[in-house]
Amino acid sequence: MLLESVEYARPDTVEQALTLLSQREGAAPLAGGQSLVNVLKHRVASVELLVDISRIDELRRIEARSDGGLEIGACVTYDELDGSDAVRASHPLLADVAGHIEDQQIRDRGTIGGNCCLSDPTNNLPPLLVALDATMNIRSRSGGVRQVAAEDFFHGYFSTAVGEGELLCSITVPPLPSPGGAGYSTVSLGADSKALARAAALVRGNGVIEDARVVLACFSAAPMRHHGMEAALRGAPATAEAVAAAAAGIGDGLDPPGDVHASTDYRRALAPVVARRAVCQAIGNGGDERG
Amino acid sequence: MVDAATTHAIEYTINGERQQATVPARRLLVHHIRDTLGMKGTHIGCDTGSCGACSVIVDGRLVKSCMMLAAQADGTAIETVEGLAPDGALTPLQQAFNEQHGLQCGYCTPGLLMAASFLLRRNPNPSEAEIRRAIRGNICRCTGYVNIVRSIEAAAGPAASERAA
Repeated sequence: MLLESVEYARPDTVEQALTLLSQREGAAPLAGGQSLVNVLKHRVASVELLVDISRIDELRRIEARSDGGLEIGACVTYDELDGSDAVRASHPLLADVAGHIEDQQIRDRGTIGGNCCLSDPTNNLPPLLVALDATMNIRSRSGGVRQVAAEDFFHGYFSTAVGEGELLCSITVPPLPSPGGAGYSTVSLGADSKALARAAALVRGNGVIEDARVVLACFSAAPMRHHGMEAALRGAPATAEAVAAAAAGIGDGLDPPGDVHASTDYRRALAPVVARRAVCQAIGNGGDERG
Repeated sequence: MVDAATTHAIEYTINGERQQATVPARRLLVHHIRDTLGMKGTHIGCDTGSCGACSVIVDGRLVKSCMMLAAQADGTAIETVEGLAPDGALTPLQQAFNEQHGLQCGYCTPGLLMAASFLLRRNPNPSEAEIRRAIRGNICRCTGYVNIVRSIEAAAGPAASERAA
């Protein structure tokens, strides 16, 4: 397919990228391109200048922080997350989730920053980053880093906290709670395919759930925490029965979209299923079984 | 390439051979390979990044060449299906596709050969599950997956070593 005429620039530094993005109307960052190139083919968005940020060294790093957390450059690919010793050591679930995004070709090009900035509600990483309480580090030409909690970053369909002339540069993932763990569950069309319903969870506690974050995706335009289920989990024993009780009926208050693959009612029925599985994985990862 | 432009001079190697070209920014890598270089082994199946027929290896990574701009290939090393057997002697993988009847119409074959080559470099002795996962991005509309998996199995691990001996 023929793309519309477009300009292309490949800056070497974030500063150069920000200059290009802020000086030109119709400029858009190009990272892995695994969604944007299709958008350009179908001409559903008009882009005049593609600013290719995919090779900027500063955006390609994974840093293991001294507090046990991670700082991940926006242009780190899914395959690099999957294969990173640092990510495997501190946040193995993040590596596993990235390693099951679509196919090898997409994992070799697609980036963590692109997955977030596209803000497609079916994308894999947004609910997990909200559950992990990640911080999105956004830079602009006027200087400074604007830090936005992942929970506040995703505004809706294809809309995020990143404004005109700004660039998501890195994502800070805090260390997992100790004792505690993270979990993730998806019902999808096929293996590693488009999600119909998804949940991510973070649990603190050992034997008893001290605190929990439960995030649902595919139920609304952006990942959403389910504060009711979180409250029900607080103080509950870290058992499958208690988790199932906390998850029961959580779909009733939701108004998810219905489509050819899953009706609104079916998605409502899936909500407690994925939420329960994600929290059970989180407690299995350390909530109640660590010695 | 710090400066924005609608055309760019690029330089890369393709199957080991150095090339220079001037490409429009909007040109997809697959069109550059097929139409400018005339290397028709890399196929276009869906043109939407769904089928994997256009898979090539860029700097050691398996990519769909319809999901990347030619300008983005500047400075890279590209490998296409033509590079697998430069002197005409089939690789063990190609030989296995032949012997195991790993193709029917053959349209998806170049992409599958590149995906399988990538897999065997990373994991010379994959399980059947690993093979199936590795070709997840390559669609065979003849649905000949059983023989494709069998071909890759035949080319992998000890079988490949024996063949080379």
